[in-house]
Amino acid sequence: MLGPTQSKVQEYMTILGLIFKEISHRKINFALGSLAVMMAVALFISFFTAAKASNRETARLMLSMGFNLHIISKDTDMNEFLLTGLPDKTMPEQYTEILASQKQISYNHLLATLQKKITWRDFDVVLTGLAPEVSPPGRKTPPMSFQIERGSLYVGYRVAKALGLNESDVVQIKGKTLKVAKCLSESGGVDDIRIQCHLRDAQEILNLPGRISEIRAVDCLCFTPTDDPVSILRKEIGPLLPEAQLFHTRAIASARAKTRQMIRNLFAVIVPFVVIACGVWIGVLAIMNVRDRQQEIGIMRALGYGTGQITILFLGKALTTGLVGALFGFLLGTGLASIFGPKIFEITAKTMTKPELSLLACSLVFAPVFAAVSSFIPTMIAVTYDPAVTLMEE
Amino acid sequence: MICLENTVKTYRTRKGDVKALNNVNLRIEKGEFIVISGPSGSGKTTLLMTIAAMLRPTSGIVSVEQNNLYAMSIRARAKFRAENIGFVFQMFHLVPYLNIVENVLLAGGTATDNNKNAKALELIEQFGLAGRNYHKPAELSAGEKQRTAIARALFNRPKIILADEPTGNLDADNATSVLGYLSEFHKAGGTLILATHGVEAERFADRTINLHNGKVANPDKS
Repeated sequence: MLGPTQSKVQEYMTILGLIFKEISHRKINFALGSLAVMMAVALFISFFTAAKASNRETARLMLSMGFNLHIISKDTDMNEFLLTGLPDKTMPEQYTEILASQKQISYNHLLATLQKKITWRDFDVVLTGLAPEVSPPGRKTPPMSFQIERGSLYVGYRVAKALGLNESDVVQIKGKTLKVAKCLSESGGVDDIRIQCHLRDAQEILNLPGRISEIRAVDCLCFTPTDDPVSILRKEIGPLLPEAQLFHTRAIASARAKTRQMIRNLFAVIVPFVVIACGVWIGVLAIMNVRDRQQEIGIMRALGYGTGQITILFLGKALTTGLVGALFGFLLGTGLASIFGPKIFEITAKTMTKPELSLLACSLVFAPVFAAVSSFIPTMIAVTYDPAVTLMEE
Repeated sequence: MICLENTVKTYRTRKGDVKALNNVNLRIEKGEFIVISGPSGSGKTTLLMTIAAMLRPTSGIVSVEQNNLYAMSIRARAKFRAENIGFVFQMFHLVPYLNIVENVLLAGGTATDNNKNAKALELIEQFGLAGRNYHKPAELSAGEKQRTAIARALFNRPKIILADEPTGNLDADNATSVLGYLSEFHKAGGTLILATHGVEAERFADRTINLHNGKVANPDKS
């Protein structure tokens, strides 16, 4: 007669069983605690996702503004270079490989170019040879520039118009045969009088094998207003390329740095504030829970339960609250990011709709710890309750 | 045997010190049924808690079977309490989120064990609560709650039961029934110390000790 009920009872009398039974008994307390964690996690997730999207968005916008780091030969006449934008000296092509092989560096998107002003069909053009873009180890990202195949030619707007060139036309430049792959739209800048081809083709045309005139790159530093990016980069690149000099387009770099810095500052102010507020909220709920459970603690003490078991009972509940809050917080944060993110970050909208599973893992680890830390003082109050005093209060 | 020697318990309050136990000397033999009577505030509950190894006296010695309770570590006292003492309170002190079976099992610790379950169910049946196995305390009458509390107190087969006003919240029928159950524990050889300000329990008891202002008023019976 006792058989079937025995097995039903057996499952429950563990500390974990007690935690879950208490949670299901005081649902509102648990729900409010989980809500606090959920809000903190959701805010963290949505802010983190927004910050990341903002970085991506800024990077994409900045990429469209071009490379901000220029490495040219040390012998280049700087006045001439600043006037024309064309280095008058060349340097070995291997410099790109040297830079691309470095691990601890602050640049990416290395693009070796060879540029020279030439006259072609009685029209002054800038011939530009572009090597395939390379990245240092572990920094492979989609290229920022054209990837021009050998034998192909990209023709600037004014050149195409003046010389009546169309896509698929086959042309000769100083004896080298190239096929027009693209006629570029008007840029309003020097690109309109540029003809671009693969670096090898340009080297052949200009008879400068193994030489380049410039390495363009993008710095990966998110500078603070006090940092001097040029000195950092010169310190890194100087010893590698003693025959080169470096300069930095500050306007682009500082615009990027400021935008990133702004997002970080916002993140740094709002997140701790919310985390503290939610921590206090959880703490207050835990204190209320401890007060509600004084008699339960008293009777458990009277029945011989020790400090460790009472601590596990309360911290176990806090950990459960944290886990549930983390899960729902992740779902809410990801949901908010996927609903509102694409409207805010239009360029990188696609990336906002994918859940970041690494953030789920972080939430599932840190939120329970956060809830347990917030409940620590109430738990200590619970374990130090004098059971005699509690049980004597009839 | 339970022995209190020159036991004093003083509470510090804002209005000054209050002596809840004032130099109490008491001997309770194994298997005795003692009623501690006295008006509210006379020190009955303090005396029970002191014997229960839960309230350290300000001075004096409290020993149970020659174990000086307050010379033990907290952990040892908790173990001693779990193995030797059962409690019954006026307010029942059942855990609200556990059903009857679980409340009884709570006395057996958190380790699962088939024998414990069988024992709990047996006790519940013995106390006429079999149909209520999975009811929560809120769904029980006062009498049922107190019977559950007695079942819990008996779960570890304690040598001593300390009952603090166990009939205080019960009607006459339930009070008689509860006193009957406690009396059965005594008849089976258990030591029963029951604090009450009523007189109905005295007819079951071997002797009555009167407390007044923390002092034993009838020292010849102590």
